[in-house]
Amino acid sequence: MDDWVAELQAGKPESAWDRFLDRYRRLIFSAIRHYAQDYDDVMDVFAQVCEALRADDLRRLRCYVDQTDHRARFSTWLVTVVRHLTIDWFRHRDGRRRISTVAERLPPLQRRIFEHVFLDRRSHAEAYELIRTGETRDLSFKEYQAELRATYRAVTNGRRGGVLRELGAPPPPDVESDSPHYADRREAREFIARALGALSDEDRVAVELHVVEELPAADVARLLGLPNAKAVYNRVYRALELLRGQFERAGLSREDL
Amino acid sequence: MTDPDPAARDRFDLVRRALVALEASETTTPDCLDDDTIAAHAEGTLDAAARAAVLPHLATCRRCRAAVASVAHALADPAVLREISRADGAAGRRLWRIALPAAAAAAILVAIGLPRWGSDDRHRAPPQPVVQVPTPLAPIGVVAEASALRWAAVAGADRYRLTLFDAGGRVLYEAQLGDTAVALPDSISLIPDHPYLWKVEARTGWDRWSASELVQFSIARGLLR
Repeated sequence: MDDWVAELQAGKPESAWDRFLDRYRRLIFSAIRHYAQDYDDVMDVFAQVCEALRADDLRRLRCYVDQTDHRARFSTWLVTVVRHLTIDWFRHRDGRRRISTVAERLPPLQRRIFEHVFLDRRSHAEAYELIRTGETRDLSFKEYQAELRATYRAVTNGRRGGVLRELGAPPPPDVESDSPHYADRREAREFIARALGALSDEDRVAVELHVVEELPAADVARLLGLPNAKAVYNRVYRALELLRGQFERAGLSREDL
Repeated sequence: MTDPDPAARDRFDLVRRALVALEASETTTPDCLDDDTIAAHAEGTLDAAARAAVLPHLATCRRCRAAVASVAHALADPAVLREISRADGAAGRRLWRIALPAAAAAAILVAIGLPRWGSDDRHRAPPQPVVQVPTPLAPIGVVAEASALRWAAVAGADRYRLTLFDAGGRVLYEAQLGDTAVALPDSISLIPDHPYLWKVEARTGWDRWSASELVQFSIARGLLR
């Protein structure tokens, strides 16, 4: 049994914490650095992670230890918890203020887009609607898409690019749409959602992880219990071919997206 | 997405754009995955039944999908991987566990590859106490029947994790139990003359598992399980 677990189970949270930190400090730092590159951010998030793990006499760690069965190794569970705490830190209070400084250099419209998409976690379509209900009523969707792409380029290239990519939705397409009616696009998206929903769960998850989340095929294979990357390519391309046929028959074009 | 075939990028360009355009707001629901499940999914250790149970949610929940993908990306980061190996006290163990399904069809590579990883001085963790590993007993090689899998007990182990693969590395059956034998359920239909591989891991401490060698067997033709 690990020494920190023994201490925790012996009712010595302080000693357990010291031993836990001695063993996992470097892993926690490396996980934070995976998401945040700025030195001050890393140090502040580390403090936040420690505070969260130490709260209520190590409640989170105790809950994990008290579970009789674990699906994942402890170190992977810890990386998962650190990921969530890092993202939460950037979404709230100090972290939110910290990434808000990224927006200071942006033009007003891009700043609004940044706030809606990255800070308030609105979808691109929701952000467009909100912006149009405000002072920018005459903003066309084509103009909005151009501003949205510019916002993504501006904020994901800097020191906080990694975590901002985590905070935002997937980047918008790199072509402009001049579809004149938002209702048309909404119908198109509903059609896409229905087509995607007709795929099997395994096919859909494979497509989403590989195409949208950009996870390498070998990793998708591991996650889905498939033999190898080739099996993922076969599955994904078969699904994409199916969707392509449906889109073509429905007359869907880039301009509808 | 990295395409093995560049022509495919153009062919599916519209579909890709449509999928990305379909982004949605992230909301938490009672069905959202807990941290342990997200972690197990990301490291690829979720057993087949658990994986099948979470797929319907994962198919429709962008938040959980993004979390799984995000942790999987982090686990592929060499810096994170190095620290996991160091913290776990067994450099390269994760490589072994993750590589296993893909390599199952080539057990010989495992036999050759493991000593090579072990002899690599880079990133070596501090010396660890010798840990006893479980020994598969049967079936091994060509057998008349394989209705159950048996292995030798490991001193101090309180739980065993059994995994059966087909020749392509696909997981056919997984089980966790306290015993040193498991009967295969009727739903597992083994084909004569087809090679199968299995391994067993023993829990020797809190979050510590020691794995057996991967062993191969096949059922002699004419004798179904």
